[in-house]
Amino acid sequence: MLVAPVTITPTKPLTPSHLKGLLWTDVMYRATDLLTSVTYRYSPSTYHPCEQTLGFWEFLDRTVGEVDYSNCSEDDVGELYVRYRAGQERAPFADCRPYLEAVENSGWVHPASARVLELWAAHYARLGLHNPGLSTHQPPGLGLDEVIDLLMAAGLCLDLRNSGGPVYLDLTAAGLPLRQIVSAEGRPNYLACALRELVPLVPLHDETVLLYDRGLEPDYVLLHKALERLDGTVHRVSLGRVPVDGRITSARQGDWRTLSVRTLLDDVTSRHDEMTVRLGMRLYFIAKLGPGDRESFRADLLERTMTRAERLLAAATGATGDVEYLEPHRGVHQRVDPYRLTSGLLARHRDPPGAAMLAAVYT
Amino acid sequence: MNLTQELLRAELARRVGAVRPDLAGKLDLSTIDGLFAAQTEIAGADPDSVTGVVSVLRAFDPAAWISETITFAATLTPAEADVWRTALTRTYFLAGNPANLVDRFRFAHVADDGNVAWTAPVDGRVSLPLRRLLKLLEAPAPLPHWRQLDLAVPGGPKTGRTRGLYIATAGATVARSLVHLNHLLVEAVFDGLVAGGDQLQVRQVPRLLGVPSTFVALRVAADPGNPHLLRAFAGLTKEVPLAR
Repeated sequence: MLVAPVTITPTKPLTPSHLKGLLWTDVMYRATDLLTSVTYRYSPSTYHPCEQTLGFWEFLDRTVGEVDYSNCSEDDVGELYVRYRAGQERAPFADCRPYLEAVENSGWVHPASARVLELWAAHYARLGLHNPGLSTHQPPGLGLDEVIDLLMAAGLCLDLRNSGGPVYLDLTAAGLPLRQIVSAEGRPNYLACALRELVPLVPLHDETVLLYDRGLEPDYVLLHKALERLDGTVHRVSLGRVPVDGRITSARQGDWRTLSVRTLLDDVTSRHDEMTVRLGMRLYFIAKLGPGDRESFRADLLERTMTRAERLLAAATGATGDVEYLEPHRGVHQRVDPYRLTSGLLARHRDPPGAAMLAAVYT
Repeated sequence: MNLTQELLRAELARRVGAVRPDLAGKLDLSTIDGLFAAQTEIAGADPDSVTGVVSVLRAFDPAAWISETITFAATLTPAEADVWRTALTRTYFLAGNPANLVDRFRFAHVADDGNVAWTAPVDGRVSLPLRRLLKLLEAPAPLPHWRQLDLAVPGGPKTGRTRGLYIATAGATVARSLVHLNHLLVEAVFDGLVAGGDQLQVRQVPRLLGVPSTFVALRVAADPGNPHLLRAFAGLTKEVPLAR
């Protein structure tokens, strides 16, 4: 099975919304991996060519210039990102090309993003998240022209580059609107990047699960249909963001200033041990918040969940085997459903989970 | 043929006045301002009710596109042609692959090579679902050059009639050339100037100025570089005598 979550561009601090996606993916991956072989594909290299990242790098070098990023914080880089997104003018694609070529030819990463990925890896370690290779060069299996050719052959692509136009993903036969994947300038977007990665990977797996932010639903429906037409078996899992103080904002507005993963972790680890924090975070961001986006983040509820996590860890026994415990949470699919599994931990009148299962999946 | 601003104004006035005599009564079509006002009034009509054709394009091959455009126009009934002319043969050029659309939408003509499809002239509200699915054609590349293109228009036995089709290339993009040629060709078919079995000598020139032939149809529109002038973007010549 292939688990392929949407990646987060390394241009800003991680927020509670990001954390929710990372924890869901991690529980799905680790629980399913106990039952069947799972590939966890999360490659920042694949998505560096999209505009959000390339444009930011070009902006940094043009406006900030030579700077030592090795001691920067995520917030420092995030503030620069806010400044980049607030700017009206966008550099022409020609100015981003040297960056694109460096990414494609040598796996180059701008030091600002390399630093952010390094800091994220440290958060992953604190949270006990499987690191799928944040700082490893993992190029997509197909080049842009190759994936366009392949999609063209399947009638899934409209390529107007000969007339100076864009390239579209074409699912109009399924009644879905055309979606641009390469601009007339030649600038690929994140969907083009996703296709370069997933088109060759999906056929190598019995089943693929795409996890993504609910705001990307229309694009992921297109991606899903395109991969299915290329004979993939694909499931989508969409997750709502986490409102803070009742509001869902974005990185371009500096949403991490209110609450970031770093500040959240610093706060809870001052009162709880590492294993409790790992389990408690998963219980809260998966079972308490659920897949939707209705519940605002609540520090008091997170704190109560930490107490539940402490009790669960203390009560954990070796009574139930992993597979017996996990099987009922698979439903009809290969994957374990993180919501069902994690909610089950909080249900009263249930046998306590096995210590080995908690260690393998939650801490 | 000497192309002058007076001649271009007269040609545009003839085109507008022929299909919308009501405007000829309201506006002074002998002036450029009056002509532009007439065009604005026609273009500004309620998009839901105005008649138009949707042309879906997957790829542009000049020779095939010209032939197929003529074939499409010839398939329309006189009633369809009349109602479309009243909207000055308004056409939405959209990017799309006809093969992916033919099961869901009705087209009046699909090109043999599958690169283009046309709906019949329909109200805007009828074509809305198709227009929502597709995107406006973005084709800003310069019109490709060809040395010489002689076309036998399909759809009939040889008529022995040959005309020159001249296209101005200065500043011409693929997208804009499609617009100009489309208006010129479909209206020429409706006027009986071009039909299946004819020969077309398609020629590219920077501007139509100085072409040593007489035009029987001209595509005239505002000059994008100089909004107070008109410009001839394409033209169809009188019959070319056969070489002996």
